[in-house]
Amino acid sequence: MAHNFRSDVAIDWCPGCGDFGILNSIQQALTELNFGANDVVVVSGIGCSGKTPHYINVAGAHTLHGRSIPYATGVKLSNPKLKVLVTGGDGDLMSIGAGHFVGEGRRNTGLTVILFDNEVYGLTKGQAAPTMQMGQRTKSLTKPNMFGRVNPISLALTSGYSFVARGFSFDGKQLKEIIKRGIQHEGSSLIDVLQPCPTYNNINTMEWYKKRVYKLEDSKTWEPVVKNDDSNLEEVFQRAYAKAGEWEDKIPTGIFYENNNIPSFPKRINEYVPRYLENPPSDQKISDKDGYTLVDPMKTFSEKIVETIK
Amino acid sequence: MGQLDINIVIGGPQGGGIDTSANMIIRAFAYAGMDVFSVREFHSNIKGRHSYVHIRSKDDKVRSLKYPADLLVALDPDTIFEHHEDVSKGTMVIYDSAFEGSDLGQARMIMRDTQKGIKETLEKAGFQTTVKGMLEYMQKKGGKLVPIQFDSVLSPVVSDGPTTRYFNTFGAAVTMSLVGIEKSSMEDAIRYVFGNKESVLKTNLAVVDKAYEYCESNKLVGRKIKKMHRESRIILTGNDGAAIGKIMGGLRFQTYYPITPASDESTIMEEHEDLKWLENEVDQLSRGGVVVVQTEDELSAITMATGAALTGSRSATATSGPGFSLMSEAISFSGMDEVPLVVTLYQRGGPSTGLPTRNGQADLLFAMHAGHGEFPRIVITSGDVEETIYDSMKALNYAQKYQVPVIHLIDKNLANTSEILDGIDTRRVKLEIPEIIPQNDGFKRFSLDTSSGISRMGAFGKNIFWLTGDEHDEIGHVTEDTRMRDLQMEKRFRKLETAEKEIPIEDKAVVFGDKKADVTFVSWGSQKGPILDAMNELKKIGISSNFLYLKMFTPFPSDFVHDFLYSSKTVIDVESNMTAQAAKVITQNTGLKISNYILKYNGRHVTEDELVEAVSKIYKNGVKKVVLTNGA
Repeated sequence: MAHNFRSDVAIDWCPGCGDFGILNSIQQALTELNFGANDVVVVSGIGCSGKTPHYINVAGAHTLHGRSIPYATGVKLSNPKLKVLVTGGDGDLMSIGAGHFVGEGRRNTGLTVILFDNEVYGLTKGQAAPTMQMGQRTKSLTKPNMFGRVNPISLALTSGYSFVARGFSFDGKQLKEIIKRGIQHEGSSLIDVLQPCPTYNNINTMEWYKKRVYKLEDSKTWEPVVKNDDSNLEEVFQRAYAKAGEWEDKIPTGIFYENNNIPSFPKRINEYVPRYLENPPSDQKISDKDGYTLVDPMKTFSEKIVETIK
Repeated sequence: MGQLDINIVIGGPQGGGIDTSANMIIRAFAYAGMDVFSVREFHSNIKGRHSYVHIRSKDDKVRSLKYPADLLVALDPDTIFEHHEDVSKGTMVIYDSAFEGSDLGQARMIMRDTQKGIKETLEKAGFQTTVKGMLEYMQKKGGKLVPIQFDSVLSPVVSDGPTTRYFNTFGAAVTMSLVGIEKSSMEDAIRYVFGNKESVLKTNLAVVDKAYEYCESNKLVGRKIKKMHRESRIILTGNDGAAIGKIMGGLRFQTYYPITPASDESTIMEEHEDLKWLENEVDQLSRGGVVVVQTEDELSAITMATGAALTGSRSATATSGPGFSLMSEAISFSGMDEVPLVVTLYQRGGPSTGLPTRNGQADLLFAMHAGHGEFPRIVITSGDVEETIYDSMKALNYAQKYQVPVIHLIDKNLANTSEILDGIDTRRVKLEIPEIIPQNDGFKRFSLDTSSGISRMGAFGKNIFWLTGDEHDEIGHVTEDTRMRDLQMEKRFRKLETAEKEIPIEDKAVVFGDKKADVTFVSWGSQKGPILDAMNELKKIGISSNFLYLKMFTPFPSDFVHDFLYSSKTVIDVESNMTAQAAKVITQNTGLKISNYILKYNGRHVTEDELVEAVSKIYKNGVKKVVLTNGA
């Protein structure tokens, strides 16, 4: 029987929150990909998005503010057979955890990073998040936002994410498909999800987004996938980067960039650590039947041995 | 046995081959069957500043270093300036006579304050502020000068470039000739160091030959030390020991962010990621390697290691004070969520960046309290290279068994101490492995149904459960229920009581020496060796002593410590910090106040001689506190 990805925990997000759409899309994607109960792990940081793992019926870790990516990387590298999703907010991933966001692009571990992007810190009463534009003043700000905006799509592209996409929390069908492709992608993916915060963001509302979003895949000439031989790499990357800059009147959604030519971090580790993919840290037997170590320290560190010559 | 005791200081510019020289000397002594102990001292600098290695070799166990030096080997003029305090009656000073023309004012790699001190010393004693003046000063103190024209001695045998490239080998070989080590042992050392570089090997052997020949014809030959046959031994540093212990203890995932003096442990592990196996039934399921990941920062290092632990593998990170400061929040998470996690904390001189390449023990109280809120943890410390191996294994065991963060304190001095061990016992520490039973529905990772406080371990990939930094229910979902809060807090802390009951006293505190003694040392970490050696020396001058050696600070062996100290006479606390942190822990836990202190916070290693002198001051003259100052 297919695993039920809905947990029995009561969801306490505000009515009308964009988080619901993201949660549903994740659960549908996992169901459609036929994952078993123990195939997937969800890791989050702090904030409304941080609650997501509790609502999904798979092993989950609701960790520290900003640190979801390294916690998730530890899970994935220790057991690369697991599919590891990161559900983080814009403050979590783009501000306090921005260093890890960049670090993960360089690693390309194979995480599916889903960014809950509503431009505000909801759980602490509506402060401006790093994805809010300079000068914008949502209702709980005492003055217009003093800071410039981080663009998650262009940051992901320059950091090295090999799958970069954007969804909209009120277009569940498209979002679910993007999430499915992100999970199936071997390297790390960033999926920026535009969503309203009905309580604190009175500017970027559902209606505001609905008027502006359009789908990249609706254009017949849109091609986000880098060819196996990298021949169109420059062109695909530049086009994605240019599209990432679109905002205000027209906001693109869909897949911006997909590059399957960069080996994932687990594959790169496998080149050096013997039998890593086959027998990763989580699966290794570490003691003999009496409980003692299996490692021969003298042989492993043989160059440190000193023999006196008779 | 017990006749030979040789102390050597060999110094030169950082990056100028000092480590290689020291390596040769250590190896040559070892090949001759001697025991060797050494500590590496260096600046936070890549090339140019003064670095040295302090080496002591005996024909029986050596556990500490001692001044004055029997030989001071200077591979640059700075060494002569920097080490004048190490020279005393009988010290042989070996140097290139070309240094004689150098002026202190030109020695721009000597720190300004150090220069000032040297200048004052020389001027006060009435000597010129030049190498020549310093050498005369050393002579006046009883030092014996051994000037050698390095270049002209070496030029007949070096044809592949400037002779300076071989000064370090030459210095080491002259040293070995002077102390009476046979040439064959020195040659073996050269073969070890340059084994795979044929052309370099040849010239280095020729340099050794030349050095011994030169010493022979200039009567620079010590009393021959007869080669002793020994069974296989292994030369290890504290960094090596921790890496080996972790791997033996089942660690398969380590993270780190580069920091002195911790990152060597991780790179050593990386060099040995291809493990070799004991011959007993190692099936395919066990064969695998160690994954070592260099992270973007320490926040990532500790959280990544925690993430790995969630899948059931044994994981750890290694850092020093500044990195550990950044890790505090994640230690609190590991405590709250009962994740087995080991942090090896290499202390160096603080606060802030402090003395980044020097010793310190000022992070004890920090390690015991780092992280917000209240949660159980285990804090252990190691005092010599052998302990770094087995303590690292035990740290992993404690983390798994009690599901707590374990902080393993090592200090910079121990990290860079090189010792020779007779072997490594693969059956000394048994691995404690919690059983993980696959279960999804109703799996209670934080079950309250446990008298020990320990709930059944789970692993991502085998069980469905949740973790949250929030207070949580038995499954791991967020709760703010008052009753559940109390029960979970109490359950977590029950684990500490269980650990306290189960961990044997010898892993917490050890007493060395007789029950009754004139003086009782209390200490921890790398003072262990110097204190044990000082105890023998004190006996010779009529002071009997014993030693309460502390190994575990949380949970603290309060009763044991109380009972021992209560009946002790003159108790002296010895630490490499300014505020006597361990003594504070003792007072807090036992109510006993320690009134005598030997403290050192100049960042250099504690030596046997300064301990003996300090104890005499306290015992005979009634001084309450002595601050140790040895070391360049």
